[in-house]
Amino acid sequence: MTAAPELVDPRKTFGQAVTEFAADDSRVVVLSADSGVSSGFGAFRDRFPGRYLEFGIQEHGATGVASGLATTGLVPVFAAIAAFVTNRNYEAFRNDVAYMGQNVKIVGRNGGMTYSDLGPTHYSLEDYAIIRMLPGVVVLSPQDPGEIRAAARAMLTHEGPVYMRIGGPAIANLFAEGPFVIGKGRTHRSGDVATVVSTGPATANTIAAVDALRAEGVTLDLLCMPTVEPVDAELIIESATRTGHVITVEEHYDRGGLSAAVSECLGPLRVRHDAIGLPHQHVITGTYEGLLATYGLDAEGLTRQLRDIVAAGRPASAK
Amino acid sequence: MRRLAPQDLRIEAEEARLLILRMLRGGRSGHVGGALSCVDILTTLYFDEMDIDPLEPTRPDRDRFILSAGHKALAQYAVLARRGYFPEPWVDTYSDLGSRLAGHPDMHKLPGVEANTGALGHGLSIACGIALGLRLQERRSRVFVVLGDGELPEGSNWEGAAMAAHHQLGNVVAFVDVNDLQISGRTADVMNMEPIADKFAAFGWKVRTIDGNDVEQIQGVLAEVDRDSSSPTAVVAQTTKAKGVSSLEDTAASHYWKPAAAEMAEAEAEIRARLQQLSLQTVAR
Repeated sequence: MTAAPELVDPRKTFGQAVTEFAADDSRVVVLSADSGVSSGFGAFRDRFPGRYLEFGIQEHGATGVASGLATTGLVPVFAAIAAFVTNRNYEAFRNDVAYMGQNVKIVGRNGGMTYSDLGPTHYSLEDYAIIRMLPGVVVLSPQDPGEIRAAARAMLTHEGPVYMRIGGPAIANLFAEGPFVIGKGRTHRSGDVATVVSTGPATANTIAAVDALRAEGVTLDLLCMPTVEPVDAELIIESATRTGHVITVEEHYDRGGLSAAVSECLGPLRVRHDAIGLPHQHVITGTYEGLLATYGLDAEGLTRQLRDIVAAGRPASAK
Repeated sequence: MRRLAPQDLRIEAEEARLLILRMLRGGRSGHVGGALSCVDILTTLYFDEMDIDPLEPTRPDRDRFILSAGHKALAQYAVLARRGYFPEPWVDTYSDLGSRLAGHPDMHKLPGVEANTGALGHGLSIACGIALGLRLQERRSRVFVVLGDGELPEGSNWEGAAMAAHHQLGNVVAFVDVNDLQISGRTADVMNMEPIADKFAAFGWKVRTIDGNDVEQIQGVLAEVDRDSSSPTAVVAQTTKAKGVSSLEDTAASHYWKPAAAEMAEAEAEIRARLQQLSLQTVAR
């Protein structure tokens, strides 16, 4: 029997990474909309009180402030609930950050359905879709604690606007910590039946599902994508050309996000593409585990969905 | 910072008015009413108040200007050109395909522009961010903002009003250009935001009310601003929409104007006559 994997809080992991970076870079300032500590910045606030700026509950105004701070050469990091730093402030994100090309980092935590019991007002299932439509904005979606740390450093080093989405519930290590390059994915499992592309916290269950199918003799290529925009087109096209079938997995609506980014880069290949995510409807509330099970995003649900999709995608003779 | 005689500022403002009209030559249209109502404020800021250097427009310790009511870009373009930020003939490219001078200002295309504004209600928060950034870096620079009375119903203005007071941004000076008109008519009829002065005061701002087309009053109020104060300053500047072109003054139609050639000639002649009078007065002194 193997020991249960150690689970860590993604927000604290993120906040700690930014705090460590900020110790060596005095340009980094943190903006809070009455939620900085919940976003993992308790240690930052205690260590750099002068660089921790509180604005109360106002995401539009705080995004404008971040833009102004950036024009003076600072590197503002504005973190709050994902739904509110992408939707409520969208025009400020679009005009004051993206259009102005500001070196602003906006971080949405408790992304996806992780505010499960608080209901759809607190879900972010369209954030990748709307933010990746803004030219010049990098969209990051790290998948485990090591990637969150590495992505935080990459985000702060990158010159230009970045949106990063992290979850809320504790997560386990999936990968050996290595170099992180914005726009690059990693091949985590190799196979030839189909290509699975996943991002964010959905990757943990996707790995379990891919391994379950492997035990059934169905080998899948699994590409783990911590960057949604720009997506690693080279890696995806190389794999899709071999397998002829791509399946995307994300905790986001099954359109507009990773699925769209992958679909757009597949265009000329004419390979089959199936998207697993949330159906385009208002989703229910409940426990996070219950929601994942309901929508087929837990390990069992993903195994079932991948099995069915792969079976449907095979030539008739192979079924 | 320079100290100019009011008469010199009046002449500069009239020159800027001529440039505003020049940008509409060739059958073009633009947000003329608001540009003409705020141009005396911009002229006084750029020529008399702000610590700026057109030859070094991104000097870190410069004062900043944010045109929150970005549709009044014609006024900013005219004043920037007059102040030497770019060659005056550039104004003739206004609204050309790919021009540096579009209907709303773009910081990446034109020296002296600090923010891309136009979507209303954004300027104050951006200004607060700049002011905070300057303070964190221990720079004494100040941030000047021009808001329009018509944009005040956007709630984001009041997010900015709250944060400027809360964070004690005494380095922010916001002019509210109250010309009483917007596209659909009187601001009081479209969405009444009066009493504007009381609203800013209630948020914790120092508030002054002046005639925003009177350069002496603008100079006077700026001289009173204490840059070491812990309170931001709001200047409620009562102005006349389309000030300086009598056929247009105080009309909602001036908000976005496409002049016929004869109208343009008449407007330019009126401004030129006033310029001549101002120059003669200067000589006579």
